[in-house]
Formats: sequence, structure tokens, C-alpha cells
Amino acid sequence: MPDTRRNVLKFIGGAAAGAMFTPAPWRLITDTALWSENWPGVPRPLRGEISARYTNCSICPAGCAVRARCVGGQPVSLAGVAGHPLSRGGLCAFGVAGHQLPYCPGRLTEGLVEAAAGAIARAAANCNPDAAGTPAAVCYPAERVAVLDLRPGRTASWTYRRAMGAVKGGLYLTAGGPFSGAAVDLAKARTVLSLGAPVLDGWGTPGNVLAERAHFRLIQAEAIESRTASLADQWLRIRPGSAPALASGIAGALKKAPVADMAEATGLTEQQINDVAAELTQHGPALVLPGDDCLEAWAINEQVGGFGVTVVARTEPPVPEAWTKGCAPVTPLASVADGSIRTLIIDESASGDYIPWGGIRRKLVADNPVVIAFTSSPAGYARHSLFVLPTAVYPETLEDIPGAIDSPRAAFRMAVPLVAAPAGVVNSSEFVAKAVGLDAATALRERADAIRKAARGVLITYADGRSRPTAQVAPDDFWKALNEGACWIDTEAQRAAPPAADWTGPGARPAASPRLPLVAVLTESATAATAPASPLMTKLDRESNLRLGLRRAALHPETARSCGARDGGRAELETSLGKCRIEVVVDASVPRGILQVAASPDVIDICGAGARCRVLPL
Amino acid sequence: MNSWGKVPILAGVLTSLCVGWIGFPRVIYKSRPQPVAFSHPVHAQKAGLLCVDCHAPREDGTYAGVPPLSRCAGCHTANLGPSAAEKQFIAEYVKPKREPEWAVYARQPENVWFSHTPHIRFAKLECEECHGGQERSDQPRPYLEDRISGYSRDIWGYKAANHSRRVGASPDDFIVVPGMKMDDCIACHRSEGLEHSCLDCHK
Amino acid sequence: MISEKKPGKICRYGMAIDIDKCTGCGACMIACAVENNVPPGNPGATDLTGITWLRVFKVDNGEEYPRKESVYFPMMCQQCGMETPCYLVCPQQAVDVDPATGIVFQMPERCLGCRYCMAACPYHSRYFNWWDPKWPAGMEKTLNPDVAPRMRGVVEKCNYCHGRWHAARQRAAEAGLKDIIPGDYVPACVEACPAGAIQFGDLNDPASAPAKAAGDPESFRLLVSLGTEPKVYYHSKKEWARRIGDPSRAPAPKEPSRG
Repeated sequence: MPDTRRNVLKFIGGAAAGAMFTPAPWRLITDTALWSENWPGVPRPLRGEISARYTNCSICPAGCAVRARCVGGQPVSLAGVAGHPLSRGGLCAFGVAGHQLPYCPGRLTEGLVEAAAGAIARAAANCNPDAAGTPAAVCYPAERVAVLDLRPGRTASWTYRRAMGAVKGGLYLTAGGPFSGAAVDLAKARTVLSLGAPVLDGWGTPGNVLAERAHFRLIQAEAIESRTASLADQWLRIRPGSAPALASGIAGALKKAPVADMAEATGLTEQQINDVAAELTQHGPALVLPGDDCLEAWAINEQVGGFGVTVVARTEPPVPEAWTKGCAPVTPLASVADGSIRTLIIDESASGDYIPWGGIRRKLVADNPVVIAFTSSPAGYARHSLFVLPTAVYPETLEDIPGAIDSPRAAFRMAVPLVAAPAGVVNSSEFVAKAVGLDAATALRERADAIRKAARGVLITYADGRSRPTAQVAPDDFWKALNEGACWIDTEAQRAAPPAADWTGPGARPAASPRLPLVAVLTESATAATAPASPLMTKLDRESNLRLGLRRAALHPETARSCGARDGGRAELETSLGKCRIEVVVDASVPRGILQVAASPDVIDICGAGARCRVLPL
Repeated sequence: MNSWGKVPILAGVLTSLCVGWIGFPRVIYKSRPQPVAFSHPVHAQKAGLLCVDCHAPREDGTYAGVPPLSRCAGCHTANLGPSAAEKQFIAEYVKPKREPEWAVYARQPENVWFSHTPHIRFAKLECEECHGGQERSDQPRPYLEDRISGYSRDIWGYKAANHSRRVGASPDDFIVVPGMKMDDCIACHRSEGLEHSCLDCHK
Repeated sequence: MISEKKPGKICRYGMAIDIDKCTGCGACMIACAVENNVPPGNPGATDLTGITWLRVFKVDNGEEYPRKESVYFPMMCQQCGMETPCYLVCPQQAVDVDPATGIVFQMPERCLGCRYCMAACPYHSRYFNWWDPKWPAGMEKTLNPDVAPRMRGVVEKCNYCHGRWHAARQRAAEAGLKDIIPGDYVPACVEACPAGAIQFGDLNDPASAPAKAAGDPESFRLLVSLGTEPKVYYHSKKEWARRIGDPSRAPAPKEPSRG
């Protein structure tokens, strides 16, 4: 046919017109629209039967009761258990996203397990001259094996004590402090004076604190405008580091002694200190909560008659008789001689207070100490350890939770596994026990049996909300209930005064120097800390301004100007102990001369509780 | 001369009509057989099961569309009949405890919320009214998966008789599968006076 | 075409928030993100580009210590009941106001990402997906099946946990009821708040907390003069806090202060 190009065009035109009358173009439009909903790789949620499972949250010692909404057995959201006598139905921001902890990026899942087991076994054998087949080589009786337990009071803690008791010269160490063996009864308090304790921001059991909040007047004495300070009934803005001076000022005012020096040190007036002391005596029962840097304030509770009322002794849940024989005593880290520990095992598997590394390093031998850390996070003591062994995280573990600071009655509650742990993780206490030849695989069952045998207290099961006297529950049912989300609470004990404790604080603060003009004050962070935090925590510190984020530090605008730092700029934080990189945030609510920095292990290592520092913009 | 000039146009129209109506459906769908040659008549008639014995609401009220392996394994721990399909099922799925990867004809996009309960309890719909008469089909229909969107051809429905799926020997044995697009749901809701807001069906 | 027949009980869901009780803990923000499949923030996200359907702000009275007072203020979609701005401006009809519940429902699947609604919303409660949502490996197992995850390039916002409303409707249907059982439907933030600062209920029910707040002189709403009829009632005993919602309260120029 002539004029081929024209014919081709006619053909194409005809085809196009004809195509309109076929389903093809219309389907292609629809299909492409449907396809475009899927191409970015947005995941499909899993489907399955919806069920509720119960557990207790082990992210912190509050141990709040948790109801998990599960899809096909996998938890997809968590909530509190309404009406629970200890947690009062509350769950904090960390607990609400606890089911996501197993999937935190950077979580450790591999370690040199055999090498570490060998190191512990050798260390234990070397210190025990009676062990058969001991190599004659290294045996220094003065250098010891120690376990540093950062969350004492668990059944695992007893396992460590038994293990260290089986090793000659074995030490069981904790951070120490006056709170072990004592608890606070907020329900009895009418006036609470907090010297920097974050009462409304993560202290104690959040649900309990908020349920009792309306019954007491809160006075917060703190250098920075923390969340608690801004919400307290009265905020006393004291100079950073002057909480011990305030504590002795109040102790003195209660004895009608002059307080002029203390007023000078804290920046308050004498009248203010006397008013606070008066309020503690007139509007009692009063409770004084010390912060990390003023543990001596604990003694004021005795002065105002709080011992036995607002501050009471707390007993532990019953323990099998056999465990108490031959176990190592609880030793505060500070009381160990410097340079005397050859092998240190640090249990960082459950989050607790982070002790600055310098305080620990001092106690180790100068050359080649062996440090083994049980942890799931690379950011804490893993940085300083020779062997790092991965552990399971909260919804994967079967462990019990020690009592909370604001829970006067002894309680036993377990976090039960809701998801399977990855293959490479170890159970820290069982591992140490096995390495020294002790079998602790059934420790929790033995503990539960001992509690059941004592036949005291009540068992509260979450699934049906029932509370039954322990004596009425069969032993197997007792153990089964604890594994399905339950809590044992002791009967109301007589209100005894708490045991005598070490009241001394960490010592004098470093003096100001022209080179290090600022004072570093640590605040809670959402994504820092030694425990892994859900990736969703960015909502609180990156996608909003609710909390100070990891490696961020806030300065008053004038302070920032004097340092040459600008908002959002990078800088180096330097103290006498070291340096680290930070991002500067300018905030007019931070007092002048103070650097408010999010507390993370690397920052705590160089800052401690309020070190002098300076900021160098980069 | 003029009539010859129309030939390319007509040729184009005819070609695209053929391609569009015959070639396109063949090309756009990828046929995926179901993992097991499951026979509904055998289970419905011989075993006497009803729809709800396997496709049942769970304890929590949600609907388990395709039963999990445990439901089948409850009876099929050993061969109950002579068929090769059952042997294959037990060997490949029941023994190794592997869930068959069934292709779900009624799969909807993620943003659709559908609950069986009000449709069964309040509207009193029978299973066949939306899913077609499955009990008459001896073999599971192959899952015709749209290559671009991934959804089943069944979503578009077999409304007209000559698009229906032939199931048996006689030409009268067709099952009519209604469509499951949003228009199909809306049509019924509209006629019942229940068309109110997007929130009713979307998440 | 929307059916004429009324769909049963007409509710107007609202909230009553006591900002004197809020401690700024953020449990509500995290519970909201968990319930609604909001992804963790992209590494480059800031408070202006992140997605926080519910966001808690710290607001103070503008004074200095010792007269400085602060409150924590949870902000979410106010579910405007009249002249809903986002609904009126959307070119895609991706926003629908449900007559049976009063919920202003955002449909990200229809959204084309023009962000006109974000400009129209006087409360800044709408958030745009600037990045592809990414969950760390394994965390996609924790997604809620009752809420559809969104893709990049669309706007999303609080829908009063519509997934929970659907679940409540299903439970009611199980029990043979056409209307949901009162108290069975509670958004995630209400359930999560340890202080009980956020209360939820039907404004048409005079016994509910929001209805009582509506009549309480110590309660206030935000930007009432715009005429949007928001359904979130805030309550405070502090007089300065009750003026937070007043649009004429211009902030005094001072140094920047973050929350």
C-alpha cells in the first residue's frame, strides 16, 4: 500500500481508539494505582487470633503489671493492669513500647561464650587451692573474683551470692547506698521534700506516685528546672552541687542551729531553709528523698520521725533455707580495697544505676584485669570489657523483679517470656553458676516454692483479677500462675525502722576553675541509658522537645554565647576525666553557668554527678 | 480508493480489540496453583462438614478465613482416603508441621476493614452470596494473580454467565462468584440504606 | 450518595484533658505511635518533620523563677465539629467527617500529598510522611493489624484510634448489638495515661467526662473564636493556663525556650 507511514499512523490511531473499548487501559490504571500503594515496601501487619497475655515489666524495679495484646501470640501493644495494688494500672512511656525492645538496632546477639566461661572457671579455680588439676601458674590470693550486680534483690542475685560463696575469696558487689532493705510509703506522707530525686519523672512506681500525688505537698530542691521541679508545689532552685549543704542546713534547722553558712552555699535565704524545716515538722508525716549526690539527707527522715512511718524496713520474699548457708555477703563496691579484683563479672542484663567506670576501674588490678560484661547493649560497660556476653531483653526473659523503692511490702513478681530470645544469648546468673560448678537452672522455681511454703500473703492473678491467700493455692498452681502474669504480695508487716545504712555521700565536689567554668548536670534521657530503648522513643526527644535526646546538652543563651556555641551546633564536652562529642541546644529555662546533659554511659563516665566542664564548639 | 484508506484504521481497531479482550486477560494474570488440591465436595458431602466447621470465627470474634494447619491435621494425621492429593498434603505439610501457603482469593488491600460478624448476624448473608458456591468445585480454582497489583482475578467477580467458572461436566454447572471490589460492597450497602461514611469500612 | 436512614445512635466523641494532672511523661505519645503503626523517626527528623499524632508541649506563664509556672499540654487532632478546615480544603476528599461518631477521618490512601490540609489546620495536628516508613528488622512483627501503615508522601493524623472503634463495633456485633458497648472503646492515649489526665467520651451523653467538661467554667478549648468547634476540652485550675487557647495571647519576645 502506498504511503506506508500514513497507514502506520492510521493503524496506530485505530488501535488507540479500539483500545478504549477494551478493558486493558482501564485495568492498567487501576492496577498501577494498587501497585503504587505497595511499592514503597510498607510492611503488612501480621494477622492472627487476638489474645491477651500478662506479665510484669522488668525494665525498671517498679515492675508494673502488664497486659499484652497479642496477635497470633506476638505482642503488638502493652497496657497496664487496672486496679493492681502496686502499679495502680500505670505504665510509663518505656513500658508501653517494651515489646519492641528485642528489635532495637545494635542489640548484641553474639559473644565469645566459651572463652568467657573458661575465664571464669579458671579464675574461680585459681583462687581455690583445693580444686583438683589447678595449674600451678597464676595464683594470687589477694586478687579476687567478683560479681558486680547492678540490680540487686533478684533471685539471680542470690545465685551470684551462692556462686561467689562457692569460690574462695569470691565477692558479691553492689553499688551500695541506703536504699537496700528500706522502702518508702508514699501513702503516709503529707509533705515530701526531694533533694533532686525525680519524683514525678521515673522515680518509684509511676502509677503509685501519681495515685498518691493529691495527698502530699511536694517540695523539689534542684538546680535545674527538671520535670519534677516544674510540676512540684514548690521549687527551691539551689546552686548545683549544694544539695548536701541544704541537707545539713535542714538537719541543723530542725535542731534550731544557725543555717547562715548553708544558706550561702545553696543560694537560698535562711528564712527559706527554716520554713522548709518548719513545714517538715508541722505538716507531717514528712518524707525526705535524697538525690544521688546527697545520700546523707536520708538521715533527716529519722529526725522528723519518719522512720517506721514513711520510711520502713522492707523484707525480701522468703528464700530457700539452703541458699543462705555459705553464700557471699552483700558488699558495697566502695568498701573493696583498690586494685584487688582480678576478674570482674558485671551483670548489666537488667538496667540499674550506671556507676561511672572510673569508680569501678579503681578496684581492679592495674594490669590485665579480666572484665566480663553480661549485657544486651554495646553502649554501657561493653565498651570497657574484655568479654561481652549477650543477654535476653525484657519480653524474652524469665526473671523476677526486686521491690520498688515505694513499695513497703515485699513482693515477688516475674517477667515471663512473651517472645523467644535469639539463639546466641545466655542467662547471666545461670552462666556464672555453671562456670563455678553450681547448678542454678531451677532457682526461680525453688524461690517460688519457698514463698509458697511460707504460706503468707496473697497471690494476685492478672487474667481473672483474683486475689487469693497464698495458703489456698496449690504449689504447682502457684508456680503456674506466676508464669502467666501474677504477683505475690506479703502481708502487712509491722512497721519497723529501716536498717542502718551508709549515709556518706560521694565526697567533695571539684572546685571551680577558670578552665572548666560550667557545671554539668545530668538529666534523664529517653534514648540513652544502659538499657535498650524502643526506637519509638525518638518521638519524645527528636520528633518533639519533651526530653533531651542522646548526646544533646542544653545551655542558657548567654552561657552559649560565652562559649561560642550555637543552637544545633556540634561541640566537645570536656571534663577533667575526658571528652565526648555533643550537640548543643539553646534553652532559656536552663540556669546560667549550667550544662544540662542527657545521661548516657559515656557522659556519666566523664561527668559523674555534676563535674566541672567546658564546651568547645566544633 | 477511500474504502481502502479505512483498512489500516479498521485493522488497528480489530487488532487492539483482539489484544484487549483475548490477549490481555491471558497476559495480565499469572496462574498460581494452590499448594494442595483441596476438594470441597469431598469434605462437604462425604465428610459432612459445613462451611463454619473450618471457616469459623475465632474465640475473639475475628474470622479465620483459611483454617490453620491444626484444623486439617485434626483429622488428617493419617490417610483417610485413596487420593494422591491427600498423600502429598500429609507428606509435605502435616508431617513437617508446615503451614500451607494458601492464596486467598478474597484478599483485600490493607486499608480495608471488613468484619464478618455483622454480615452474618445482622444481614444474615450466606457464605455463597459473596464467596460463590465453593462446595461444588472439585478442585480449588487456580489463583489468577494480577501481575501488577498482586490481587486475585476473583475480586473482579464472575458476574456474567460466560465468565463463570465451569465446574462440572454439564454446561449448566457454573458457579457465579460475585465481585469484591468496593463498588460491589457499596452497591449492597446502598440498597440497604447503610452507606454512611468512609470510617465504616476503612482503616 | 450517602444513605438517608440514620445509622443508629449518634455520638460525638470528644476528650476532656486535665492539664494540671499531666506530668509530661510521654506515655500517651508512645502508646499512640504503637497503636497506630507510626514508624520511628528518620535519622534526619526534627520536631518540625517528625510524626507525632499526639504531642505533649510544655507551656509556661512567661514569668521567671520563682513565679514561673508550667503545665504540660497534650495536643492531638481537635476533631473540629463545625466548618472542619481540613475536610473543606482537601482536593481528593481524603478526609471524611463521620456523622455517627463525629470523627474526622483521614484516609492516607486517597491523599496525594499536597499538604493543603496542613496549611488549613489551625492546630498543626497533621503530619506529613517526609520519608519512607522504616521499621528496624523484626519490629514489623509488632505492627497493629487494625490500622493500615502509610507510605511516604501522604498526610496522617489522629483518628481517635479508629482501629479500636472498629474492634469495639465487632465485639458489639458479636454480642448482637448494633451500637458499641459504652466504655468498650477507649483510644490508646486515654488508656495509657498513668495520671488519668485524658478522659474520653460521648459529648452527647451528659454523664460523660467531656460533656461535663463542656459545661465547666474552668475548662477551655483552643482557638474557639475561629468557629471550628473543637471537641477537646482542656481543664485547669490555673487562670493563666486557661488563656492558652486564646489566639490574642501573643507570646512575649524572649529567648527561645525548648520544651
